[in-house]
Formats: sequence, structure tokens, C-alpha cells
Amino acid sequence: MKKLFIILLCTISSPIFSQDDLMKILDTESKNQVDYATATFKGTRLINGQTIETVNKNHLNFWISHRFGAINSGFIENFFGLDEARIRLGLEYGITDQLTIGAGRSSQEKMYDFYAKYKLLRQSNLIPVTLTLYGSNAISTVATGSALESGTVMKYYDNLERMTYTGQAIIARKFNDKLSLQLMPTFLHFNKAETTDTPNNILALGAGGRLKLSKRLSLSAEYYANFNRPSSSNYHNSLALGFDIETGGHVFQFHLTNSRGMIERQFIAQTTKQWSDGGIFYGFNISRSFSFDKRAKGMNK
Amino acid sequence: MKNFIKLIIITCLTSSTTFGQLFSTQSGETSFFSETPVENISGVNKTVGAILNTSTKEIAVSMKMTAFDFPNKLMQEHFNENYIESDKFPTGLFKGKIVEDIDLTKNGTYDVTAKGQLTLHGITQAREIKGKLTVDNQKITLTSNFDVKLVDHKIDVPKLVFSKIAEVIAVKSKYIFSPYVKK
Repeated sequence: MKKLFIILLCTISSPIFSQDDLMKILDTESKNQVDYATATFKGTRLINGQTIETVNKNHLNFWISHRFGAINSGFIENFFGLDEARIRLGLEYGITDQLTIGAGRSSQEKMYDFYAKYKLLRQSNLIPVTLTLYGSNAISTVATGSALESGTVMKYYDNLERMTYTGQAIIARKFNDKLSLQLMPTFLHFNKAETTDTPNNILALGAGGRLKLSKRLSLSAEYYANFNRPSSSNYHNSLALGFDIETGGHVFQFHLTNSRGMIERQFIAQTTKQWSDGGIFYGFNISRSFSFDKRAKGMNK
Repeated sequence: MKNFIKLIIITCLTSSTTFGQLFSTQSGETSFFSETPVENISGVNKTVGAILNTSTKEIAVSMKMTAFDFPNKLMQEHFNENYIESDKFPTGLFKGKIVEDIDLTKNGTYDVTAKGQLTLHGITQAREIKGKLTVDNQKITLTSNFDVKLVDHKIDVPKLVFSKIAEVIAVKSKYIFSPYVKK
């Protein structure tokens, strides 16, 4: 019996390599390779805010974003909001696969925004989440004495007063090929606060995610909660719901949101409307990607 | 008797770690090219794992689909997300056997045909893939060109796509094998 066992052992361990064994060897060899999660989100923007995604090296994204008027702004007066729109045009470029720089211009408050995004950690079989750091500076170029959405008249005495800074740590996990969720702890600094009651520094936490319905269609949601808004404030937390349609080189994002502005200062800190009374804006973002990779030269006919 | 058994065990154990007839690579190159009226699509994977047994003439190839690098990263994302579905089907595999009656331990260049199974997008197809094999002492180079029909592997091209995707993709491979060392 013992002998039989030994012979059996020898046969098993002796070097007979069937094709499955070859595959097994390959499997163990490839286990050393790191497996990164890709395409956690379709775009660099979830709805209003950023995602962990950065632009790939030597690629340029062009963003066109629109928010129509509020649904409750009346039929005769405003055709349920379709009579007017706020627009933001933006460009962003991938210096490396990790580092993106971007700039945009919003019609709301005639704001310019400049930002950098850096993907610090990538979700893989070793690390459970992707971490991207985001920093932006927004400058209002509206005439001094103009009113904000809230009605407050802002007097600016120098250009520094027109600036707002945003810092975000964006943490996301792709749970499976359908579901990705992210958290966005956010710090905002206003060089000039709106009123004496309004803090210059605002702390907020965002949460969002996407659920893929099909290969090209996904649902998305985004919520930002403020932690130190004074009780006298007329501002509300921002909630946006939308769906993304992806075609060849474009991502179309259609959404409903109670925020009108498309930069952090405006949607995180200065959302004036509420979902509960129909203060909902509908809008869309369109993203178009261009490759400036040398190898892509001549690829587009 | 006891010593004899020990001897057998030792022989068994040591013999299992010699791989004289095995040649492998972890940096094989597989690329593909697809020409369409609108744009050309190309991708290259430089981390293909392949292993060749020179005595049985069996070969196995395994590649991570996410490791294909495209000049246009959006195409790369579409390749993984929409066509190959890399989350569901992460690897492309080939296992087969060289059918020609040749001695792979002797130096020379041989036209070879590998008969086996190609697995892509979770669909396995019986294939005969032709290639060229060059044996140069401890270095074996294998090149091959073959076509993959998208419909064979149930790779859907949705109607919503603006640019047309070719229905047959030309695939090129070059693997340089060296003697396999167990890590």
C-alpha cells in the first residue's frame, strides 16, 4: 500500500507537462503582474464635480456644459427654464497619465477656473481604492456690485477678493464592472465671504456613484453635504441625478440638479434651489476626447 | 528498503524541478491592426506570457486584455469596456500543439502550424495557426500572423458606434522564448 502511494506520488510529481500544466505555469507567472482597475468612471466629471479619472497622457478633453433655467421658473415667463442657460466651456490635458491640468470659463458670475488633478493611488489587486487629489482656483470677473444667485450684492475692491480655492481628496472604488462609488471630502476657501455670517472656509463631503445599465448607458448620482453652513444661510446641499450615454469619441451626460453653477464654489457652497419645491435645473455635459499621442498621428483619416 | 524508498522520493522531488524541455517568455508581443474607412485602430501588448515544450511541441499563450496599449486611450477604454469586456473575460488564451514532425531541439527555422484552442471574449474556437519558429541554441523565436473574426468570438459592435469597426482583425505575434526557470 505504502509502495503504491509512493509510486503514485512519483507519477504526479514527475515532469509530464500536459497543456493544462503549461497554462498553470503561465498563470502562476502572471500572478506577479499588478492588475489595475480601469474605467471606474466614464468621464473626468461625474455630474457637476470631478471623478477620480484623469486625462490620459497627451490627450485633450473638451467639455461643453449647459444648465437650463429652473423647472419651476414658469411656462409663460421662462418656458420651464428652456429660455435661458448657463454654460461652461472647459479644456483639460493629460501631462502624464496621472497628472491633468485644466481650465474653464463659466457664464455664471463670468468665472474662470484653473485646476490640477493628480492620481496618487490606483485601485489594483494590491490597493482597494483609487485616490485622486484635486485643487482649483476660480476667479470671478463679473463687474463689482453685481448680485449673486442668492441676491447678495458683491463689492470687490481688489482681484484677490474675487478668488476661491478648492481642495479635494477623491476616493473611489470600482466594485464590479457595473458599480463604482466615490467619496469627495472637500475644503473650500473664499477670499471674500458673501456676508459676515458666512464662513470663509467651508467643509463639505461629497458622495457619488455610477451604475452601468448597459455597455454604453449608466446612471449617476452625486450629493454634496456642507458641514459648517450657518443656520441663517439660504443655501442648500447639492443633489444631482443623471445618466451618461457614451458613443465613439463622446460622452453625453444628461442630468437634473438643484445647483446651477458648474464649479465647486457654486454647486457646493452656493446652491440656492431645492428639489422639494421644483427648483431643479436640467442640463447636459458633452465631452470630446482628442489624442495627441505621436503614434496616433495619421490614425485619424 | 527504507533507503531505497528515500532514494525514490528524492528522485521524484528533484526530477519535478528540472524543466529542460520548457521554454518561456513573459514579454511576448501581440499586436493587432484594424483598418476602417474612418480611422485605424491598433493595439499592442508587450507582456504576453507564452510557454513552449520542445519535446511534446505543446504551446500555451496567455495575455491580459487590459495590457493592450493603444495610441488613442479612448479606443483602449472602449476595447476593454465595450468589446472585449475585460472585467468579465480578463485573458486571451491559446493552447495547442505543433503538428509538424520536426525536432525543436535542433537549430534551424521551421514553418509551423499550431493546432489548438483560441479563447477570446470567453469563447473558445478550434484554430490552426501558422507561424515561423527559429531555434538558435537556447533562444527560440516564434512569429505568427492570423486573423480573428469578431463574430467567431461573439464580440458585438453596437449600432450606435459612429466609426465602423472591421469585422476581421489582423493579429501579429512575436515571442522570444528562453529556457524556463521556476521562480
